[in-house]
Amino acid sequence: MKGRRAAFYIRLEVESAAGGPPQAAGAGMALDHETGIYSCAVSDPGYRQSAMSLLHHRWLAEQLPAWERDGIITAENAQTLRARYMAEPRGGLAQMIVGAVGALLIGTGLIAVLAYNWDDFPRGVRLALALGPLAASQVVSWRVLSRGESARPWMRESAALVQTLAAGAAMAIVSQIYNLPGVWTDLVFRWCVVTVPLAWVLRSQAVAIAYLLGIAIWTIAQVADRGLRFSTPAIAAVDVRLWYPLLLAGILPLWPGPGLRERPAVGSRLVLAATAFVGLLAVAAAAKPDVGDASFSWLAMLTAAAMLLFPLDRAGIAEPLMSKPQVVIGGLALVFTAFVATYEEPAHHLVESVGFALPLGWCWLLLAVTAGAAALAGWQGRLAVLTVAAVAVLPLAAAPLTPTSGWPVAIAYSLALLATAIVLIGLEFLGRQGAARLGGALITILVILRMADADVSLLVKGLVFILVGSGFLAFNAFITRHRRVTASGGTPA
Amino acid sequence: MKPALAVFAVAAVAQWLLPLAGVWRHEWLIARGTLVRIECAAPDPYDMLRGRYLAVRPAETSAAAPEGMSWGVVPVWATLATGGDGLARIESLSLEPVVGPTVVRLMAQRIRATDDTAAVQLEWPFDRFYLNERLGPAADTLMAALFRDGTRPVAEVRLLDGHAVLTDLLLDGVPVRESVRKWSR
Repeated sequence: MKGRRAAFYIRLEVESAAGGPPQAAGAGMALDHETGIYSCAVSDPGYRQSAMSLLHHRWLAEQLPAWERDGIITAENAQTLRARYMAEPRGGLAQMIVGAVGALLIGTGLIAVLAYNWDDFPRGVRLALALGPLAASQVVSWRVLSRGESARPWMRESAALVQTLAAGAAMAIVSQIYNLPGVWTDLVFRWCVVTVPLAWVLRSQAVAIAYLLGIAIWTIAQVADRGLRFSTPAIAAVDVRLWYPLLLAGILPLWPGPGLRERPAVGSRLVLAATAFVGLLAVAAAAKPDVGDASFSWLAMLTAAAMLLFPLDRAGIAEPLMSKPQVVIGGLALVFTAFVATYEEPAHHLVESVGFALPLGWCWLLLAVTAGAAALAGWQGRLAVLTVAAVAVLPLAAAPLTPTSGWPVAIAYSLALLATAIVLIGLEFLGRQGAARLGGALITILVILRMADADVSLLVKGLVFILVGSGFLAFNAFITRHRRVTASGGTPA
Repeated sequence: MKPALAVFAVAAVAQWLLPLAGVWRHEWLIARGTLVRIECAAPDPYDMLRGRYLAVRPAETSAAAPEGMSWGVVPVWATLATGGDGLARIESLSLEPVVGPTVVRLMAQRIRATDDTAAVQLEWPFDRFYLNERLGPAADTLMAALFRDGTRPVAEVRLLDGHAVLTDLLLDGVPVRESVRKWSR
């Protein structure tokens, strides 16, 4: 797999230490003899403050001492470059994690100590204990924020996380002191709303992750409580179909940010994709006000398809599969559902769920989003994801036929999975981004499932399993050699 | 001021406003509210964020539906009257706001009573009384023992302008914390 790269140049105006013509600048640098300017080619798509550009900054920072020592640039030049292209020191991620863990320990310790309920103290003292840490943490965060770009990531993470936890502790203690009613997830909702700006301004991944988890937990609780809790108008007014997407949009000022440039780190992407998927599934479960309706199965498939087809730019498409958790989660969910639908009863329920889902506004919104994303994916040539996403359309196509039995759909799903596998393998051999291994795995699982159902002796089943397993291993070995030869990544886009 | 600092300032103020609004509202209510005592039940569950508490359930959880009440959940205004035993009970329910020192706003859901008359299920604006880890389990045990003997806990509630705040829980007329401490010794 090769990403598209556009070169940009760092122009270094240098003087020869000996006063003569400048010397060769080392690997990656070119000298313009007329101007005496060195150009250092660094590849970066559009030179953005992204993870990639930070890597280039670090590379530059590592070269500067040698260039300075060899007289290629002056100390002043080096200083100017360091200031302009600031790089986090190595271990920045480790520092960030250490900062976040430290803050988490302090914050949760604080909550636990305060939550002990010091009812020997008068209310005023308990309130001071609750609000004091919040005030202190706000002062620290303000100072960190005032330092601007010179504030280290671990400082930002720690300050944001401690303040987040202090804000939660303050709300919990006040609620404890006055014996306020309400379930803990309602508190989580308010906590998320007042602390998410810290993720924006302090660029805190930890607070963003906490926020994403918090809003997903709240949404699930809202849906789970339908019909269980005394449904007051306040609860009934909470329409998660509106609220969850709104809350999810609360992360936009951080990712992609005002300049549309920021990307979450891979670990954060996983949390973002997983919580968004779970939250949207909860919304799908609540898409119809009646509890226990049967529209969920197909809405869940559409949700998975929309997630799988989430629009990416060129750089995003070129990234390896493991850096795109939305593709992994959405694809796996679709493939899993499709395998389940190769059985008669689930297939029948799935087709039935289309009838329940189609009158719902949420269903049409999902369809519109999925169709739009599919059109863009088609235009970008993301054929592998389109192929997998297509399994979500099958129940819709089967619904008008109103089959009384699930078998036609179950068989259609087996064939659709087989076709998907063949396309995924074929794409790779046609030089496109495919997923040959996934295709091989689909065929293998399909054969295993059908053999498990088949009315044949255990001996035959055993021999077939051995044959299929050997074939799968051989296919993997073949794909590995094929990729080495073609030097193609072959990850699904 | 930089935009980031402005956003931070707004968030910081919101982080104060939310708890302080609760403090202000409830301090005001405690200082000026009318004290009533309501019989209730109180088992001992646990809140993930706020710790151990006694679930306070007033004995009166249903009543005759006010005239003209529709199906669904609506707010109702209950006027409480204190009986000879010192305990407050619902005297009347109204669908319209009522003013008075012993009026409390409840949520009501219309249900069909066993004798097919119109009734409502009530939700009170308090449902928990927090205790610390040391007292919580002991209070639960003590409460169960007293419950078997027919003693019911009594919620001490302050009422003002239809709002309520639970200020204490009494066992045999003694605050629950005090009772538990005595009982533990």
